[in-house]
Amino acid sequence: MILKLKQEIIEVLNLEDVQPSDIDNDAPLFGEGLGLDSIDALELIVLMEKNYGIKLQDPAKGKEIFKSVNVMADYIQKNRTK
Amino acid sequence: MERLIQCIADNVVSPLGLDSLSNYESVKAGKSGLKRYESMGNVQTPFTLSRMDRQVIDEACCRLGIPEGQYTFFEKMLLASTIQAVGKAGIDASDKRVLFIVSTTKGNVSLLGDPAGFPSDRVLLGKAASQITDWFGNPNSPLVVCNACISGVCAQIEAMRALQSGKYDYAVVTGADEQSPFIISGFLSFKAISDDFCRPFDKDRRGLNLGECAATVVLKAADSVSDDCWELVTGAIRNDANHISGPSRTGEGSYLALMETLRCCRPEDLAFVNVHGTATAYNDEMESIAIYRAGLIDVPVTGLKGYYGHTMGAAGIMESILSMYAVMDHTVLATRGFARQGTTYPVRVSPELRETDGRQFIKLLSGFGGCNAALLYRLNGKW
Amino acid sequence: MGQLDYVILESDRAVVSGRVLEHESSGNAMLAELYRAHIADWPKFFKMDTLSKVGFVASELLLKELGEKRCESEEYTQNRAVVLFGTTASLCADKNYQETIQDRDNYYPSPALFVYTLPNIVTGEIAIRNHYRGETSFYVVEGADAAQMAFHLSCAFADDSTQSILAGWVDSTANDDFKSFFTLVRREDVGGLEAKLKTIMNNLNI
Repeated sequence: MILKLKQEIIEVLNLEDVQPSDIDNDAPLFGEGLGLDSIDALELIVLMEKNYGIKLQDPAKGKEIFKSVNVMADYIQKNRTK
Repeated sequence: MERLIQCIADNVVSPLGLDSLSNYESVKAGKSGLKRYESMGNVQTPFTLSRMDRQVIDEACCRLGIPEGQYTFFEKMLLASTIQAVGKAGIDASDKRVLFIVSTTKGNVSLLGDPAGFPSDRVLLGKAASQITDWFGNPNSPLVVCNACISGVCAQIEAMRALQSGKYDYAVVTGADEQSPFIISGFLSFKAISDDFCRPFDKDRRGLNLGECAATVVLKAADSVSDDCWELVTGAIRNDANHISGPSRTGEGSYLALMETLRCCRPEDLAFVNVHGTATAYNDEMESIAIYRAGLIDVPVTGLKGYYGHTMGAAGIMESILSMYAVMDHTVLATRGFARQGTTYPVRVSPELRETDGRQFIKLLSGFGGCNAALLYRLNGKW
Repeated sequence: MGQLDYVILESDRAVVSGRVLEHESSGNAMLAELYRAHIADWPKFFKMDTLSKVGFVASELLLKELGEKRCESEEYTQNRAVVLFGTTASLCADKNYQETIQDRDNYYPSPALFVYTLPNIVTGEIAIRNHYRGETSFYVVEGADAAQMAFHLSCAFADDSTQSILAGWVDSTANDDFKSFFTLVRREDVGGLEAKLKTIMNNLNI
């Protein structure tokens, strides 16, 4: 699940030259590191809806969910509808 | 001698009316074109929109002699507005010294989803704009300004420069956008749209509403501008150099554009600043910072999105026109949807009509791509 | 006017001031190849649409050719405009975005694609990269006309702050199909501008 999610993130965010192993499971997705921005956050919301059937209306909630890949994977496991 | 730029005619076509005066009177009376919709095409999320009644446009086109079936909705809006404005100006728009500038963000993009029998190249903005110049028999290739949400202000600035150069004597500056599922879905994906009436600068603002409108000004190069006539004095376009979609935290580009226009007027001479005021959290906050930094915190501020929504390509032109009518009426229009101060800097925005004796105003806009623009209009003479 | 500095990018051709740049790939892959070979320090490049990638690579190659170093000096950050022209604007991004909303059962509008459906985003990308806070404009025209472009570029100098313009043409109808030229126009160059643009455009089939 973690590996698959990392691959999905790399693909939808066009993170060229980033390998799944480059993404620390517990490191924040936003802020330093991957250099993600607000559009990337919105695109992750689309990813959750498209791949896991999770509708997130309030983008502010994303802040909590995208704390790290582990947190995101955990949220998806608990809320996925597909 | 530098040529001055006079605004000699205008028109606004919107859900609130088919000419500028009826639009102004509707807004002054507090009417809004905004309505809630549950869906549109594949868009199945509720949103609030100021939508042009297609039948009203078709009837207006019929009265103006525009043949049925030849023009898209976007082109019909532009034609309905330009034909009326050019008629009011009383100019021969087929003359080569008349330049047409079209302001739009997405033009005929809805044809990608539904070609509706139109040739595929009609989705090109230059092709759509040439429908307008062809109608008037104008020989010049039209210029389309495509600078996201600031296009309408940029188009007026570019017209001003083209007239100052001496190459043209008149410029017909027109702008419009159609709100199709293309644009609505995009802003929804940005979580930028409110399903409720927008609340510019309010503490509880939750996003923007989109809107449909076409607006036109006819500008003239003149050696002098008579008293009680409108002069387009100056304008500037500046970039935040910060982010392609997020407004600058320091209001950089808007601040720089404001400072440039302030070289031609004193803050105390301004009737008001007509702001972008989209009612997204970031835009309104950014504008409040730029206004504060530019030393305009004591100048009345007013925004029109609560009446029209964000009309994109038309916004810079329509909001300039409504501002002219307001100044002539000694009025700062109420900012519909605003109730409680909700920005870091307390800009002087009000839900009520206010009086003013100012004869100048600044129109300010900002948009995706980090772009910002401001222009200054002045009603010559004294009260 | 000394040497004519310009950059041409086409789907399978890259030219800098008359010199052909070596590359093995074409289309979007060529843009990535040029990025890796000549730029390489701006990973946001890979998030851009084709129009922005073309404009970004062309502008970077031109600035390199001119020997300009990115810096915070006012000469560049306040006094430089970016003014681009084209006929197809964001059509390529428009089509890509339309695909994400066309089908009711597969309706997932992409914000990352939508933002590029505004053609002026490419001017913003260049401004961000170089900290340019001057004017940025994108004009859509019916066809490439050196006289029309020269006129509107000269108009941009009506803004007293603008001392030079990163100017160009950029069109893209599909991810692997694009045409572009970039050049720098200084305030003092306005006189011979139309001829200069014509010379460049003779090397590019537009």
